[in-house]
Order: sequence, then structure tokens, then C-alpha cells
Amino acid sequence: MGTIAQVQTTFHDIGSSIDIIIMAVYFIVIMLFGSYFGKYNRSTKDFFFGGRRFAWWLIAFSIVATGVGSHSFIKYSAKGFQYGFSSTMTYLNDWFFLPFFLFGWLPIIVYTRVQSIPEYFEKRFSPSARFLATILLLLYMIGYIGIGFLTLGKAIMPLLPETITTLGLQFQPTLMGIIIIIAVITGIYITFGGQTAVIFTDLLQGFILLFAGFLLFFLGIAYLHPHGGLWSLLPTTFKLPLADFNKPPDFNFVGIFWQDGVAGSVGFLFMNMGLIMRFMATKSVDEGRKAAAFNILFMLPLSAIVVGNAGWIGKAISVIQPNIVPPNTSPDQIFDVVAHVVSSPGVFGFVMAALTAALMSTVDTLINATAAIYINDIHRPIKRLLKIKERTQKDTDKKELSAARYSSIIVTILGVVSVLAFKNFPTVYEAHGYFHSTLTPPLVVAIFLGIFWKRFTPAAVMATFLGGVALMIVGAKFPGILIRPFAQGIQMNAEHPYTYIRAFYNLVVCSAVGVAVTYTDGWFRQIVSKIKSKENHKAIAYSLTILAVVLFLMVALGLGGAFILFIYSLIVAFLVAILSVYFIVYDPVLQTEGLTVWSIQKVKESFKGGKINEREGDKVLVSWVLKEGEDGVINFSKNDMEKMAADQGDLVYISDKRAWLGGLKSIHSVYGKPHDKDGVVYISEENLKDGVFIKGKILKAEKEM
Amino acid sequence: MIPITHTWIPLLYLYGVGGIFFLIGMIIIRKSGAINLKLKRHRYWYRVLIFGYFYFLIFHTFFTLVGLYW
Repeated sequence: MGTIAQVQTTFHDIGSSIDIIIMAVYFIVIMLFGSYFGKYNRSTKDFFFGGRRFAWWLIAFSIVATGVGSHSFIKYSAKGFQYGFSSTMTYLNDWFFLPFFLFGWLPIIVYTRVQSIPEYFEKRFSPSARFLATILLLLYMIGYIGIGFLTLGKAIMPLLPETITTLGLQFQPTLMGIIIIIAVITGIYITFGGQTAVIFTDLLQGFILLFAGFLLFFLGIAYLHPHGGLWSLLPTTFKLPLADFNKPPDFNFVGIFWQDGVAGSVGFLFMNMGLIMRFMATKSVDEGRKAAAFNILFMLPLSAIVVGNAGWIGKAISVIQPNIVPPNTSPDQIFDVVAHVVSSPGVFGFVMAALTAALMSTVDTLINATAAIYINDIHRPIKRLLKIKERTQKDTDKKELSAARYSSIIVTILGVVSVLAFKNFPTVYEAHGYFHSTLTPPLVVAIFLGIFWKRFTPAAVMATFLGGVALMIVGAKFPGILIRPFAQGIQMNAEHPYTYIRAFYNLVVCSAVGVAVTYTDGWFRQIVSKIKSKENHKAIAYSLTILAVVLFLMVALGLGGAFILFIYSLIVAFLVAILSVYFIVYDPVLQTEGLTVWSIQKVKESFKGGKINEREGDKVLVSWVLKEGEDGVINFSKNDMEKMAADQGDLVYISDKRAWLGGLKSIHSVYGKPHDKDGVVYISEENLKDGVFIKGKILKAEKEM
Repeated sequence: MIPITHTWIPLLYLYGVGGIFFLIGMIIIRKSGAINLKLKRHRYWYRVLIFGYFYFLIFHTFFTLVGLYW
């Protein structure tokens, strides 16, 4: 074990060869584990969504690795080391938006069968809104993947020797080199496994991660026990659960509330396709609700301890043994350093394996989600545009599955390239905070207003995307003038101005544009009808488009002072609104039905294809028997259907009775004509293949709706 | 002496401003009919949502007191 002066300057060879072997074995086991579950993918639906079949607990635990993965260990340990228990803030502020999610977004996204967020934008607004949403979402997802890779590289770098000698050749490991190797390993099992593989590897890793995090916590407590214990060694300010209201600029309550508690929470619940796909993989909306609520109430508080405790322990050790952990230790290295100090060889390797596995989990979830966006929002629309059609649905599925795998590889490569944009930020926490407060607000506002406000129009969403982004760019260029009024007393750091509170400004300008354009919709229609009454209306529209593009570019390039650019941005918003009304065909009744919270019942009926049966029934146990042919239904006895309070045409979920499988062997179907043999269900060959049911094993059936 | 800006002001802001968002959410889901309190299952969820708000409020209040006085 070296001193921190050595650790800071030499970042190499922390740990022993046993640790490296343990990590290598761990990675191989995880890859094999993921590949095994690849057999449960029979279509893109399975590849991306796991076939909507899993129990809430399985999803809740598989989310742990995603929630605490990526940058979490490094960045929260860093803030825990600098500021104490307030590092947990961001894990405990997600509840405020849960009503919107559980009874708004979740049922809409499941029942409308949209397979990506941009697809929702097309249904709710227009193809052009989908196009802009796709660009913003891809930037967000690929950037997220890049931050994940960067953190992985930073976590692994100190473990490797300065020079590696293999087959007589000498290599010096570099950050980018390590990231590329990690990307290849990550790419392999996501490419061949798909969403089911991700869910199951995350489930395994979630458990291991919690165990490793708590193991480190208890080892740290044991290490500190002879010196008076963790609690007594920490200063009082470190024991408080919330940060100081508005200082220092790099970690303050109010900035982080708007960046994480508002933009981040809505982004996390509404925009993070990786997470949304998990909820969509649950067997029903109610199971998704259970998974989300359980995750926020119980798993996130536990995760906050798991990811931050190394920082708290590091601070306490720095008080009693500053020669081992000096107070000026680089915060981004504190996790590796503390794990090495408090654990023995082998255990350190295990803890680091759990960390890297968690990091990989987030990255692989995001890669899978980004590939889903590619298939749904680029691949399929292009095929529609070029009028390419496969002969059968099976051919389409096969080709899409293959495209999904290739796009996973391309997304992985783009993620690695995007690391170049982040690697020069001082810490991962700041890089991520800045990234989040800058990229999420336009989408967060657009999704949120789209779901909860029927009046929100395509013109308003387009103006939010383009005018809002223009105003955000002006704010980023002139933070002292535009963001300062929103800063609530936070001092501006000239090098990194308003890293977090800029989210508040960005949310306000995007919302203001969206709300203003919605309320003045009638006025825009009058202007457009006047334009359309002119003979040369097309020429006018194209001229206005060019003007909007030129002004947007002037704002993006910063050609002018704050006032001028601000005015340009407002003009961009105004022009975009006019052009949207001119070009977009929008039916406010048809395009809100089932797509806002105000018509959930309609979307449920359309999902089922008939009236909803809300009677509450019981679950029944049945043996399965194969039937001839494929009629799209499964048949229970009259008595069994009565027990389930089900009618012919209702939706049914049937799974292997063994609860610990969590729904892995299950299907959704429709109740067909009943028969008289109680305890027996007739299923087709196709059902058998989808459910991967085993001969002789009892099934459990329940009515879905 | 720990300044109030590090103790109760963040707490009030979190559950005050956050509470406004939460309340708007609860009102919208009720008014829109997305949550139907005639259904037993939905009544359960309504209670869970309210419980969660107070669960985190009590959590943060408790740990602020423990941090200050223990």
C-alpha cells in the first residue's frame, strides 16, 4: 500500500495480481451469463423490451445496477469525501414526480405500444417533432454512454501497471486504450444477449453490487472502530443530509435541486430509455408501478450508501491517518484508494469487479436503449420512406434483430468517441452535472407538457426545441447576465459558471417558450392564414425558414451581444411557431386521444381492443396442453375463467408457477372460448415457443384487463 | 454554529418547492381520471404516493436533527 502522494502521482498497480484475476474471471462469468439469456430473444420486441413478461421484484433489483452504475461510485464517493452525507441528496429527491410517472407516463408508454420516446412525439405532435426529439435523445444517450466509459476508464486505470509486457512487447496503458477494451467487452454481451440478457446480468450484478458496497462500508467501519468510529470522526457539517443552500459553487443544495431533483428526476423517469424499457419489460403496468415505487423508496436509499460510503470513510481516515489518506486526495480517486486501504487482496479485486460491473451495466443498458431508438426512429422510418418491405413478419424481425445488433456496435463506438468531449472536465461529477443541466431541459419540458397539457401544440413543441435551445445557448454564453437572476445567491465560478443552477434557467426558458406559443396559437393561425391567402405563400414560408436557420446559426456561433442574441432567439421561436403551423397537419382531438393523461381510459381500451373489465379476480393454477393451429387465443375452463373474473376477449398473463423465475417463462394472450376441463389451458405451438414452458410444469394464470 | 442555510432552509425548499410539484401531480392524476379512487388497487396507490412524500420528509428531518444534536 502506498501513500496518497504516490497514488496521486503514480496511479498504477493498486491491488495485486489476485485482484486482477478475480476481476477477469468476474467479467468472463458475466459475459457467459448474458449470452445464455440471448436464447429468450425471438424478435426485436424481446431484444429491446424482454417481451413484457417480468415480475416487479426482478425489474426492481435489475434497476439497482443501472441506477447506481456508470459514474455513481466515483462521483458520489468524491462528493461524500468533500461534503459528507449530503452526497445522498440526489438519491432521495425523486419522489415528487412519481405521481406523474406512475399514472401518467407509464400507462401511456405501455398502452400506446410506443417503442421509443421519439415515436411518442410523432403520434402526439408530428414527424418533424419526432426528428428533433430523436436528435436530442441520441445526443443525450450517446453522451451518457461516453460519461459511463470515461468513469470506467478512470476506475480501472489505477489498477493497471505502468507498463504491460506481453509476448515480448511492451504497452503503456492509456485511458482511451482501456476504454476501447472495455467497450469491446461490453459490446459483446449486449450484442448477443439483448434486453433479456441485460435484465438478468443486471439482476445478478445488482445483488453483488449491494453486497460489495455494504462490504466496503462495514470494512471501513471496522477499520475506523479502534479510532473512535466513523460518526465521531466526521465534522458536524458532514453529518447533515442536505448541502448548504447556495455555496460552494461546485456543490450546493439549490443548484442540485434544479439540476437533479427536477430536470434529473423527470429525465430519469421520463426520458431515460434504458430505465423506461425496464419498466416496459414488467408483465403489467401495475407491476411497473411496484418496481418504480420500491426502487425509489428502498433501493435508492440503500444505493446512496453503497455509492457514497467510500467518500465518508475516506474523510474519516484522512482525519486520523492523513499520511494514508491526505485531506487533499483527488476526490475522483477516493473510491479506489479507500477500497484498497480497508480491504485485503482478493476482496479489493471483488469490490472493484462489482464497481466495474455496475459501470458496465449502465453502459450496456444505455447502448441497448440507444439501439432501440435507432431501429424505431431511424431504421424503420427510412425503410418506410424507401418503401422497402420484407415478405413476412418473420423476415422483418430477423433483419431488424440483425440491424439492432449492428447498431449496438456503432453506438458503442460513438460512445467511445464522445469520451473525447468529456475527458477534460475536472471531475466526473461536474462533467455529468453540466451535461445533465444542459441536455435534458428541452426534452424534459416537451415530454412533460405533451403528456399533461392537452393544449400543448406541435408549434409549441417545435418552438421549445429550437427557440428554447437558442435561449439556452445565449444563457450559456452570457451566464453572468442571464443565469445570474436564477442563481439564488450562488456565486459564479468564472471557469465553470453555474454548473447546476443553469438547469433552472434552461427549464424556465424552454417552458416559457412552450407555454407562450401554446397560449398564442390562435394568433399564429391568423398569421398563417394570411400568409396562405397570398399567391406566393410557399416562397414566403421558405424565406422564413431560411431566416430562422440563419438566426439560429448566428445564435449558435455567438455573433452578437447578449441582448441581440436573446432577441434573435425569440425571433427563432416566433418563426418556428409560424412555420410549424404552416407545415404541420395537426388534429388536436385525434392526436391527444390516449396520448395525454386526460384520456388514459381510451388508450387502455385501444390497447385491449374493447371495453375494460375492471372486476377483480383470483389467480389460477393450470396444466398446459398443446392445441392444433394458431388462433391467437388460449382456452381455459368456464370455472377457471369465473375465478379469474375474466370474459372471452380479455387479456391474460400466464407464467411458470415457480415465482423465483420472475416471469422469464411466460406469455401474454387473449381468453378464447372456454371449455369444461378445469385446471387445463390449451395453448398453441407458438405460445409454447414464446413462453419457453417446460413439459409437466404447472402454470399460473391471471387476468390482465 | 451551523448556519440555517445548511440545515432547515434546504429542507423547507426541498419539501416546499418539491411539494408543489408533487401536489400538482396528485391533482392532475385525480382530475384527469388517471387514478380512479373507486378502484381498490388505485386507492392503495394513492396512499402509497402520499406515504412516500412523508417518508422522505421524515427521513431528512430525522437525519438533520441527528446530524445536529447527536
